[in-house]
Amino acid sequence: MVEFSISNARYTYVHDQKYPSENADMHHIILRRSGSKYIFVYASALLVLACAIYLYFLEEKSISLVYYSLLFDIFLVKLLLRKPVNKESVVIMPAFGVQLETHYMSGKVVRCFVPIDKILKPVLLECVTPVTCYWTLSLIVREESEMVLVFKNLRPPIKMLVHVWKALCAATDNKEETCTHAK
Amino acid sequence: MMMSDLQQNQKHSILMVSDFFYPNFGGVENHIYYLSQCLLNLGHKVVVVTHAYGKRSGVRYMTGGLKVYYVPWRPFFNQNTFPTLYGTLPIIRTILIREKINIVHGHQTFSTLCHEALMHARIMGYKVVFTDHSLNGFSDAGSIHMNKVLQFTLADVSQAICVSHTSKENTVLRSDLAPEKVFVIPNAVDTAMFKPALERPSRLDIVIVVISRLVYRKGADLLVEVIPEVCRLNPNVRFIIGGDGPKRVRLEEMREKHSLQDRVDLLGAVPHTQVRSVLISGHIFLNSSLTEAFCIAILEAASCGLLTVSTRVGGVPEVVPDDMIVLAEPDPSDMVRSIQKAITMLPNIDPQVMHNRMRELYSWHDVAKRTKIVYDRALKCPDQNLLESLSRYLSCGAWAGKIFCLVMIFNFLLWHLLELWQPADDIEEAPDVILSRNCDGLEGCCRKHNNAENHKNSSDTNNIHDKNNIS
Repeated sequence: MVEFSISNARYTYVHDQKYPSENADMHHIILRRSGSKYIFVYASALLVLACAIYLYFLEEKSISLVYYSLLFDIFLVKLLLRKPVNKESVVIMPAFGVQLETHYMSGKVVRCFVPIDKILKPVLLECVTPVTCYWTLSLIVREESEMVLVFKNLRPPIKMLVHVWKALCAATDNKEETCTHAK
Repeated sequence: MMMSDLQQNQKHSILMVSDFFYPNFGGVENHIYYLSQCLLNLGHKVVVVTHAYGKRSGVRYMTGGLKVYYVPWRPFFNQNTFPTLYGTLPIIRTILIREKINIVHGHQTFSTLCHEALMHARIMGYKVVFTDHSLNGFSDAGSIHMNKVLQFTLADVSQAICVSHTSKENTVLRSDLAPEKVFVIPNAVDTAMFKPALERPSRLDIVIVVISRLVYRKGADLLVEVIPEVCRLNPNVRFIIGGDGPKRVRLEEMREKHSLQDRVDLLGAVPHTQVRSVLISGHIFLNSSLTEAFCIAILEAASCGLLTVSTRVGGVPEVVPDDMIVLAEPDPSDMVRSIQKAITMLPNIDPQVMHNRMRELYSWHDVAKRTKIVYDRALKCPDQNLLESLSRYLSCGAWAGKIFCLVMIFNFLLWHLLELWQPADDIEEAPDVILSRNCDGLEGCCRKHNNAENHKNSSDTNNIHDKNNIS
């Protein structure tokens, strides 16, 4: 049952509660396939190969140039189109923990589970690189020096991250409250 | 009348850019920090961009909600980012759009990040202000090239600020900038932090304090000549020297040679928080710089109630009134004479009276108000398209003008390419910082914000401890 969804040009955010009785909350970020990237990469690879072949046939350069250009093309395709990610999900089970899933185009799924006791706080952080600045959602985990990134491959916009963050806060805050009551 | 009131109350979003910022300590760093804090108090939004310092990289928040971007570009020489001309365009554009900036304020000639950021801001149509903090020469190779770079940056700047009239003269001559565009706003001192000692140190022993980097530029060689002579003439005089640098060895040799171990104390590098405690242990402050645009150290010493003896260079005569300072030529014998004169003047000096006068004369809030006037003027400057700017660059020189024009045209093309690759609409705006301080009756305490939901952990750290020691 889809409760809520937002989408923009690159990403779609879906919040659904498939198992309301089991109290599990699921949030998905789905990457929209854009054909333009594939066209661009394959077109440039073809261009490089065409230039190499032209140089070989018409300007009498050595055949090794064609081999090198083929190698370069394979390297370029592997670099830019590697391991495409289809969807990343967060399954929040307030009683147990949070499961982070990464679904690839090939059908492979990589899962990572973080027990609820280990989560100190979910945080929205701004990350600065030499060329850009973007938002990420991370979990501060007890007894670990590194934070756990919730969406490891995709960079959804802040308006989508906020909903996931609020849900995570609600799940972890409830747990903290019960802890203090128990004390 | 209504229109000017509206303009007076207009709040700006300012981006301060420089290679020099906290955790470095120095004149430029302090200036940017204090000015930013006072502008935040007035209700404006201030964001600082600098390069990463070691592991300190990314977004940090300082007192008052001051957001600092430590961009991970590696410094290569003298704390300056490696100049790549166009490398910083993407990140500067991203920061300008996400923080909704309307004025870019660059600091210091010798900051490559500042020059690049100002160039990118100009090409994107933002209003630009530049503050020059030092005096520079005209004749050596390094100065000639730096002056050309400065001429390029200032050819199209909206307004400029200098810290003294001498500095204004120097900047205008070096960069061919129209003098009408340059404002003079002196630096100030945090008089709340630099207060005189509750009990004056006893005058049986006269203590002369020197706090500066021990380098050639700051006249460490003059000290080596002056100290033995003064010690010889006055058996009751002691020296305390704080600071470190390449010339420290010469001072230690001088101390050994004249057996002044019990009369000259070398403290080494003094952290900024301890400068006041060193100053209040003395009666006279000695500054022997060979060049100085404006000397904040003299302000700090005067605020602590010390009488100053200084070399008459650069903007030093403009800093404090004549009865608080004794000026000398940068010559050992003249300096010794001035120190003698200062020692005779000491009984007439009241540190508290001096401190009160400094409090009236200098305040960072005043600097912020004056800087706001400069920002208002800058915003009133007409918008210029590329062609009009290019004509200004062409007048910079026969060859240089054409090179500058080519650089700007290429920058313009790169900017449009970036607009296609990553449209401005895709860059999300960052929410403003919310601060809920425990303050009673402080105006502008809780600032306007965009989205209450985007309340991050950073604002929690602001809630914990808010020392507002600027007021």
